[in-house]
Amino acid sequence: MTQLIKDFTNGLWNENPIFRAVIGICSALAVTTAGQNGIAMGLALTFVLTCSSILVSLLRSIIPPKVRIPCYIIVIATFTTMVDLFMKAYFPPLYQVMGIFIPLIVVNCIVLWRAEGFASKASLARSIADALGMGLGYAWAITLISIVREVLGSGTLFGINVMGQATHWVIMLLPPGAFLVMGILVGIMNMIARKSVKNTHCH
Amino acid sequence: MNQYARMIVVLVIISLVAGAVLAFSYKVTNPKIQEQAQQALQQAVLKVIPGAEKMTAVEKQGMTLYIGMDNQGNKKGIAFKTTGSGFSGPIEIMVGYNPREGKLTGIEILSMSETPGLGARIKEPAFTDQFKDKSVSDEFIPKKDVKVVTGATISPTAVSKAIKSSLAEVTKIYPVGGDF
Repeated sequence: MTQLIKDFTNGLWNENPIFRAVIGICSALAVTTAGQNGIAMGLALTFVLTCSSILVSLLRSIIPPKVRIPCYIIVIATFTTMVDLFMKAYFPPLYQVMGIFIPLIVVNCIVLWRAEGFASKASLARSIADALGMGLGYAWAITLISIVREVLGSGTLFGINVMGQATHWVIMLLPPGAFLVMGILVGIMNMIARKSVKNTHCH
Repeated sequence: MNQYARMIVVLVIISLVAGAVLAFSYKVTNPKIQEQAQQALQQAVLKVIPGAEKMTAVEKQGMTLYIGMDNQGNKKGIAFKTTGSGFSGPIEIMVGYNPREGKLTGIEILSMSETPGLGARIKEPAFTDQFKDKSVSDEFIPKKDVKVVTGATISPTAVSKAIKSSLAEVTKIYPVGGDF
Protein backbone atom coordinates (compact mmCIF):
# COMPACT_ATOMS: atom_id res chain seq x y z
CA MET A 1 0.00 0.00 0.00
CA THR A 2 2.77 2.45 0.88
CA GLN A 3 4.32 1.59 -2.49
CA LEU A 4 1.07 2.58 -4.22
CA ILE A 5 0.90 5.89 -2.36
CA LYS A 6 4.53 6.52 -3.28
CA ASP A 7 3.79 5.79 -6.95
CA PHE A 8 0.79 8.09 -6.85
CA THR A 9 2.49 11.06 -5.17
CA ASN A 10 5.57 10.67 -7.37
CA GLY A 11 3.74 12.24 -10.29
CA LEU A 12 2.08 14.90 -8.17
CA TRP A 13 5.35 16.33 -6.97
CA ASN A 14 8.74 14.56 -7.23
CA GLU A 15 8.51 13.79 -10.92
CA ASN A 16 5.73 16.21 -11.84
CA PRO A 17 5.67 16.08 -15.63
CA ILE A 18 5.44 19.84 -16.11
CA PHE A 19 7.36 21.37 -13.22
CA ARG A 20 10.00 18.74 -12.46
CA ALA A 21 10.46 16.63 -15.59
CA VAL A 22 9.46 19.48 -17.96
CA ILE A 23 7.97 17.01 -20.41
CA GLY A 24 4.82 17.27 -22.53
CA ILE A 25 4.86 21.05 -22.28
CA CYS A 26 3.63 21.64 -25.84
CA SER A 27 -0.03 21.32 -24.87
CA ALA A 28 0.69 22.91 -21.50
CA LEU A 29 1.86 26.06 -23.26
CA ALA A 30 -0.82 26.07 -25.93
CA VAL A 31 -4.13 25.53 -24.15
CA THR A 32 -3.45 27.33 -20.88
CA THR A 33 -5.19 30.61 -21.66
CA ALA A 34 -8.18 30.09 -19.36
CA GLY A 35 -8.63 28.15 -16.14
CA GLN A 36 -11.29 25.81 -17.46
CA ASN A 37 -9.09 24.78 -20.39
CA GLY A 38 -6.42 23.68 -17.95
CA ILE A 39 -8.85 21.51 -15.99
CA ALA A 40 -10.44 19.97 -19.09
CA MET A 41 -7.12 19.23 -20.78
CA GLY A 42 -5.75 17.80 -17.54
CA LEU A 43 -8.72 15.48 -17.11
CA ALA A 44 -8.62 14.40 -20.76
CA LEU A 45 -4.95 13.50 -20.44
CA THR A 46 -5.50 11.74 -17.11
CA PHE A 47 -8.19 9.59 -18.74
CA VAL A 48 -6.04 8.64 -21.74
CA LEU A 49 -2.99 8.06 -19.56
CA THR A 50 -4.81 5.85 -17.04
CA CYS A 51 -6.57 3.75 -19.69
CA SER A 52 -3.38 3.33 -21.70
CA SER A 53 -1.35 2.42 -18.62
CA ILE A 54 -3.93 -0.20 -17.61
CA LEU A 55 -3.81 -1.85 -21.04
CA VAL A 56 -0.06 -1.62 -21.41
CA SER A 57 0.42 -3.13 -17.96
CA LEU A 58 -2.03 -5.96 -18.69
CA LEU A 59 -0.45 -6.70 -22.06
CA ARG A 60 3.14 -6.33 -20.92
CA SER A 61 3.93 -10.05 -21.08
CA ILE A 62 2.16 -10.51 -24.44
CA ILE A 63 3.62 -7.62 -26.42
CA PRO A 64 6.93 -8.61 -28.07
CA PRO A 65 9.63 -6.08 -27.11
CA LYS A 66 10.50 -5.32 -30.73
CA VAL A 67 7.04 -3.99 -31.61
CA ARG A 68 6.20 -2.47 -28.25
CA ILE A 69 6.22 1.17 -29.42
CA PRO A 70 3.71 0.63 -32.28
CA CYS A 71 1.50 -1.31 -29.86
CA TYR A 72 1.59 1.48 -27.27
CA ILE A 73 0.84 4.09 -29.93
CA ILE A 74 -2.19 2.14 -31.19
CA VAL A 75 -3.53 1.82 -27.63
CA ILE A 76 -2.96 5.52 -26.90
CA ALA A 77 -4.42 6.65 -30.23
CA THR A 78 -7.55 4.56 -29.65
CA PHE A 79 -8.28 6.15 -26.27
CA THR A 80 -7.47 9.62 -27.54
CA THR A 81 -9.86 9.26 -30.47
CA MET A 82 -12.54 8.06 -28.05
CA VAL A 83 -12.08 11.15 -25.88
CA ASP A 84 -12.19 13.26 -29.03
CA LEU A 85 -15.46 11.72 -30.22
CA PHE A 86 -17.21 11.75 -26.85
CA MET A 87 -16.16 15.31 -26.14
CA LYS A 88 -17.46 16.42 -29.54
CA ALA A 89 -20.76 14.66 -28.87
CA TYR A 90 -21.42 15.62 -25.27
CA PHE A 91 -19.34 18.74 -24.50
CA PRO A 92 -19.42 20.81 -27.70
CA PRO A 93 -18.53 24.16 -26.07
CA LEU A 94 -15.41 22.64 -24.54
CA TYR A 95 -14.58 20.96 -27.83
CA GLN A 96 -14.74 24.29 -29.62
CA VAL A 97 -12.07 25.72 -27.35
CA MET A 98 -9.57 22.87 -27.32
CA GLY A 99 -10.66 20.65 -30.17
CA ILE A 100 -7.33 20.66 -31.97
CA PHE A 101 -5.34 19.83 -28.86
CA ILE A 102 -7.21 16.65 -28.01
CA PRO A 103 -5.90 14.61 -30.98
CA LEU A 104 -2.43 15.83 -30.04
CA ILE A 105 -2.58 13.81 -26.81
CA VAL A 106 -1.49 10.89 -29.02
CA VAL A 107 1.92 12.45 -29.39
CA ASN A 108 2.03 13.84 -25.86
CA CYS A 109 5.28 12.39 -24.58
CA ILE A 110 3.94 11.99 -21.01
CA VAL A 111 1.69 9.13 -22.10
CA LEU A 112 4.41 7.28 -23.98
CA TRP A 113 6.92 8.05 -21.22
CA ARG A 114 4.74 6.37 -18.58
CA ALA A 115 3.80 3.47 -20.87
CA GLU A 116 7.40 2.74 -21.77
CA GLY A 117 9.05 3.75 -18.52
CA PHE A 118 6.60 2.45 -15.97
CA ALA A 119 3.46 0.56 -17.02
CA SER A 120 5.38 -1.90 -19.21
CA LYS A 121 7.40 -3.01 -16.21
CA ALA A 122 5.03 -2.72 -13.25
CA SER A 123 1.96 -4.47 -11.89
CA LEU A 124 -1.54 -3.29 -12.75
CA ALA A 125 -2.22 -1.59 -9.40
CA ARG A 126 1.09 0.26 -9.45
CA SER A 127 0.55 1.33 -13.05
CA ILE A 128 -2.86 2.77 -12.21
CA ALA A 129 -1.47 4.62 -9.20
CA ASP A 130 1.37 5.99 -11.28
CA ALA A 131 -0.89 7.03 -14.19
CA LEU A 132 -3.37 8.78 -11.88
CA GLY A 133 -0.56 10.57 -10.10
CA MET A 134 1.10 11.67 -13.33
CA GLY A 135 -2.21 12.69 -14.92
CA LEU A 136 -3.35 14.69 -11.91
CA GLY A 137 0.15 16.11 -11.53
CA TYR A 138 -0.11 17.35 -15.10
CA ALA A 139 -3.65 18.58 -14.45
CA TRP A 140 -2.83 20.71 -11.40
CA ALA A 141 0.30 22.07 -13.03
CA ILE A 142 -1.43 23.27 -16.19
CA THR A 143 -4.45 24.49 -14.23
CA LEU A 144 -2.10 26.64 -12.15
CA ILE A 145 -0.44 28.01 -15.30
CA SER A 146 -3.90 28.65 -16.79
CA ILE A 147 -5.12 30.50 -13.72
CA VAL A 148 -2.07 32.77 -13.62
CA ARG A 149 -2.35 33.50 -17.34
CA GLU A 150 -6.10 34.09 -17.20
CA VAL A 151 -5.88 36.46 -14.23
CA LEU A 152 -2.99 38.44 -15.73
CA GLY A 153 -4.18 38.29 -19.32
CA SER A 154 -7.92 38.82 -19.17
CA GLY A 155 -8.42 39.82 -15.53
CA THR A 156 -10.84 36.95 -14.98
CA LEU A 157 -10.79 33.75 -12.98
CA PHE A 158 -12.82 30.91 -14.52
CA GLY A 159 -14.66 33.58 -16.50
CA ILE A 160 -15.53 35.72 -13.46
CA ASN A 161 -14.03 39.18 -13.41
CA VAL A 162 -11.69 39.48 -10.41
CA MET A 163 -9.18 42.14 -11.41
CA GLY A 164 -11.46 44.71 -13.04
CA GLN A 165 -9.48 46.58 -15.66
CA ALA A 166 -6.21 46.36 -13.72
CA THR A 167 -4.64 43.52 -15.69
CA HIS A 168 -5.24 43.16 -19.38
CA TRP A 169 -1.75 42.13 -20.38
CA VAL A 170 -2.45 40.50 -23.70
CA ILE A 171 1.10 39.15 -23.82
CA MET A 172 0.10 36.72 -21.07
CA LEU A 173 -2.41 35.11 -23.43
CA LEU A 174 0.11 34.86 -26.25
CA PRO A 175 2.86 32.22 -26.52
CA PRO A 176 5.55 34.40 -24.85
CA GLY A 177 3.29 34.73 -21.80
CA ALA A 178 3.10 30.95 -21.55
CA PHE A 179 6.89 30.70 -21.45
CA LEU A 180 7.18 33.53 -18.92
CA VAL A 181 4.61 32.07 -16.54
CA MET A 182 5.94 28.54 -16.87
CA GLY A 183 9.54 29.61 -16.39
CA ILE A 184 8.73 31.54 -13.24
CA LEU A 185 6.60 28.70 -11.84
CA VAL A 186 9.32 26.10 -12.54
CA GLY A 187 11.76 28.40 -10.75
CA ILE A 188 9.47 28.66 -7.72
CA MET A 189 8.98 24.89 -7.65
CA ASN A 190 12.75 24.38 -7.77
CA MET A 191 13.18 26.78 -4.87
CA ILE A 192 10.60 24.90 -2.78
CA ALA A 193 12.14 21.56 -3.70
CA ARG A 194 15.63 22.72 -2.76
CA LYS A 195 14.40 23.95 0.61
CA SER A 196 12.67 20.68 1.41
CA VAL A 197 15.79 18.70 0.43
CA LYS A 198 17.89 20.86 2.80
CA ASN A 199 15.43 20.15 5.58
CA THR A 200 15.73 16.40 5.19
CA HIS A 201 19.50 16.71 5.30
CA CYS A 202 19.26 18.43 8.66
CA HIS A 203 17.80 15.38 10.32
CA MET B 1 5.74 -19.75 -32.59
CA ASN B 2 8.78 -17.96 -33.85
CA GLN B 3 9.25 -14.38 -32.75
CA TYR B 4 8.47 -12.81 -36.13
CA ALA B 5 5.13 -14.57 -36.47
CA ARG B 6 4.34 -13.55 -32.90
CA MET B 7 5.15 -9.91 -33.60
CA ILE B 8 2.79 -9.88 -36.57
CA VAL B 9 -0.01 -11.73 -34.78
CA VAL B 10 0.10 -9.47 -31.72
CA LEU B 11 0.15 -6.27 -33.78
CA VAL B 12 -2.69 -7.47 -35.99
CA ILE B 13 -4.84 -8.45 -33.01
CA ILE B 14 -4.21 -5.15 -31.21
CA SER B 15 -5.01 -3.18 -34.37
CA LEU B 16 -8.20 -5.17 -34.99
CA VAL B 17 -9.45 -4.67 -31.44
CA ALA B 18 -8.59 -0.96 -31.59
CA GLY B 19 -10.41 -0.65 -34.90
CA ALA B 20 -13.50 -2.38 -33.53
CA VAL B 21 -13.55 -0.19 -30.40
CA LEU B 22 -13.24 2.94 -32.51
CA ALA B 23 -15.94 1.85 -34.93
CA PHE B 24 -18.25 1.26 -32.00
CA SER B 25 -17.48 4.64 -30.38
CA TYR B 26 -18.06 6.36 -33.70
CA LYS B 27 -21.40 4.63 -34.12
CA VAL B 28 -22.48 5.66 -30.62
CA THR B 29 -21.36 9.27 -30.85
CA ASN B 30 -22.01 10.11 -34.50
CA PRO B 31 -25.80 10.72 -34.29
CA LYS B 32 -25.22 12.93 -31.27
CA ILE B 33 -22.45 14.85 -33.04
CA GLN B 34 -24.68 15.42 -36.09
CA GLU B 35 -27.50 16.53 -33.84
CA GLN B 36 -25.21 18.97 -32.03
CA ALA B 37 -23.99 20.41 -35.33
CA GLN B 38 -27.56 20.77 -36.61
CA GLN B 39 -28.63 22.41 -33.33
CA ALA B 40 -25.69 24.81 -33.40
CA LEU B 41 -26.56 25.76 -36.97
CA GLN B 42 -30.22 26.36 -36.16
CA GLN B 43 -29.32 28.37 -33.07
CA ALA B 44 -26.98 30.56 -35.10
CA VAL B 45 -29.61 31.13 -37.82
CA LEU B 46 -32.31 32.06 -35.29
CA LYS B 47 -29.89 34.36 -33.50
CA VAL B 48 -29.00 36.42 -36.56
CA ILE B 49 -32.63 36.76 -37.70
CA PRO B 50 -34.58 38.58 -34.96
CA GLY B 51 -38.10 37.24 -34.51
CA ALA B 52 -37.40 33.95 -36.27
CA GLU B 53 -38.64 30.80 -34.56
CA LYS B 54 -37.88 28.17 -37.19
CA MET B 55 -35.93 27.84 -40.39
CA THR B 56 -35.82 26.06 -43.72
CA ALA B 57 -32.77 25.57 -45.88
CA VAL B 58 -32.91 26.37 -49.59
CA GLU B 59 -30.30 25.78 -52.29
CA LYS B 60 -29.98 28.56 -54.81
CA GLN B 61 -27.23 28.99 -57.40
CA GLY B 62 -24.87 26.78 -55.47
CA MET B 63 -25.42 28.62 -52.19
CA THR B 64 -27.19 27.27 -49.15
CA LEU B 65 -29.48 29.89 -47.66
CA TYR B 66 -31.57 29.58 -44.55
CA ILE B 67 -34.93 31.31 -44.41
CA GLY B 68 -36.04 32.26 -40.92
CA MET B 69 -39.76 32.39 -40.15
CA ASP B 70 -41.86 33.13 -37.10
CA ASN B 71 -44.49 30.69 -35.83
CA GLN B 72 -47.15 31.97 -38.27
CA GLY B 73 -44.83 31.26 -41.19
CA ASN B 74 -44.09 34.93 -41.91
CA LYS B 75 -40.64 35.21 -43.41
CA LYS B 76 -38.41 37.27 -41.16
CA GLY B 77 -35.14 37.23 -43.07
CA ILE B 78 -32.50 35.05 -44.62
CA ALA B 79 -29.22 33.81 -43.24
CA PHE B 80 -26.15 32.43 -44.94
CA LYS B 81 -22.74 31.14 -44.02
CA THR B 82 -19.56 32.73 -45.22
CA THR B 83 -15.89 32.13 -44.56
CA GLY B 84 -13.11 34.66 -44.20
CA SER B 85 -9.39 33.95 -43.95
CA GLY B 86 -8.31 35.17 -40.56
CA PHE B 87 -4.94 35.54 -38.88
CA SER B 88 -4.47 31.87 -38.09
CA GLY B 89 -7.14 30.01 -40.04
CA PRO B 90 -10.59 30.31 -41.53
CA ILE B 91 -13.32 32.28 -39.74
CA GLU B 92 -16.84 30.93 -40.28
CA ILE B 93 -19.57 33.53 -39.99
CA MET B 94 -23.36 33.31 -40.06
CA VAL B 95 -24.89 36.46 -41.52
CA GLY B 96 -28.51 37.52 -41.22
CA TYR B 97 -29.92 39.67 -44.04
CA ASN B 98 -33.29 41.28 -44.60
CA PRO B 99 -33.79 41.95 -48.34
CA ARG B 100 -36.93 44.06 -47.80
CA GLU B 101 -34.97 46.66 -45.85
CA GLY B 102 -31.61 45.99 -47.45
CA LYS B 103 -30.05 45.65 -44.03
CA LEU B 104 -28.08 43.09 -42.10
CA THR B 105 -29.97 41.74 -39.11
CA GLY B 106 -26.96 40.43 -37.21
CA ILE B 107 -23.88 38.25 -37.45
CA GLU B 108 -22.52 35.38 -35.42
CA ILE B 109 -19.01 33.91 -35.49
CA LEU B 110 -19.42 30.15 -35.79
CA SER B 111 -15.82 29.03 -35.61
CA MET B 112 -12.39 30.59 -35.68
CA SER B 113 -8.90 30.07 -34.37
CA GLU B 114 -7.77 33.65 -33.87
CA THR B 115 -5.36 34.75 -31.15
CA PRO B 116 -7.08 34.58 -27.74
CA GLY B 117 -7.50 38.01 -26.20
CA LEU B 118 -6.83 39.78 -29.50
CA GLY B 119 -8.40 38.58 -32.73
CA ALA B 120 -10.63 36.15 -30.86
CA ARG B 121 -12.55 39.12 -29.48
CA ILE B 122 -14.38 39.39 -32.81
CA LYS B 123 -16.68 36.85 -31.15
CA GLU B 124 -17.77 39.36 -28.53
CA PRO B 125 -21.02 41.34 -28.92
CA ALA B 126 -19.00 44.56 -28.75
CA PHE B 127 -17.76 43.71 -32.20
CA THR B 128 -20.59 41.69 -33.74
CA ASP B 129 -23.42 44.04 -32.67
CA GLN B 130 -22.21 46.82 -34.94
CA PHE B 131 -23.27 44.80 -38.00
CA LYS B 132 -26.87 44.85 -36.88
CA ASP B 133 -28.94 47.22 -39.06
CA LYS B 134 -25.92 47.90 -41.24
CA SER B 135 -26.97 48.68 -44.81
CA VAL B 136 -25.75 46.21 -47.43
CA SER B 137 -24.55 49.12 -49.56
CA ASP B 138 -22.10 50.19 -46.85
CA GLU B 139 -18.40 49.86 -47.57
CA PHE B 140 -17.46 47.42 -44.79
CA ILE B 141 -13.98 48.87 -44.42
CA PRO B 142 -12.39 48.50 -40.96
CA LYS B 143 -11.51 51.74 -39.16
CA LYS B 144 -13.83 53.53 -41.60
CA ASP B 145 -17.31 52.17 -41.07
CA VAL B 146 -16.39 49.08 -39.07
CA LYS B 147 -14.99 49.46 -35.56
CA VAL B 148 -12.00 47.17 -35.01
CA VAL B 149 -10.93 45.28 -31.92
CA THR B 150 -8.03 46.84 -30.00
CA GLY B 151 -4.75 45.32 -31.10
CA ALA B 152 -6.22 43.35 -33.96
CA THR B 153 -6.90 44.51 -37.51
CA ILE B 154 -6.54 41.32 -39.51
CA SER B 155 -9.45 39.42 -37.96
CA PRO B 156 -12.04 42.24 -38.23
CA THR B 157 -10.85 42.89 -41.80
CA ALA B 158 -11.32 39.22 -42.66
CA VAL B 159 -14.84 39.28 -41.23
CA SER B 160 -15.80 42.49 -43.05
CA LYS B 161 -14.35 41.32 -46.36
CA ALA B 162 -16.08 37.96 -46.16
CA ILE B 163 -19.44 39.56 -45.42
CA LYS B 164 -19.09 42.16 -48.14
CA SER B 165 -18.07 39.70 -50.85
CA SER B 166 -20.76 37.16 -49.98
CA LEU B 167 -23.37 39.92 -49.82
CA ALA B 168 -22.52 40.71 -53.44
CA GLU B 169 -23.55 37.14 -54.31
CA VAL B 170 -26.60 37.02 -52.08
CA THR B 171 -28.01 40.35 -53.25
CA LYS B 172 -27.96 38.94 -56.79
CA ILE B 173 -30.32 36.19 -55.65
CA TYR B 174 -32.38 38.35 -53.30
CA PRO B 175 -32.05 41.98 -54.49
CA VAL B 176 -32.55 44.80 -52.03
CA GLY B 177 -36.20 45.82 -51.78
CA GLY B 178 -37.36 42.56 -53.34
CA ASP B 179 -39.31 39.83 -51.63
CA PHE B 180 -37.92 36.45 -50.68
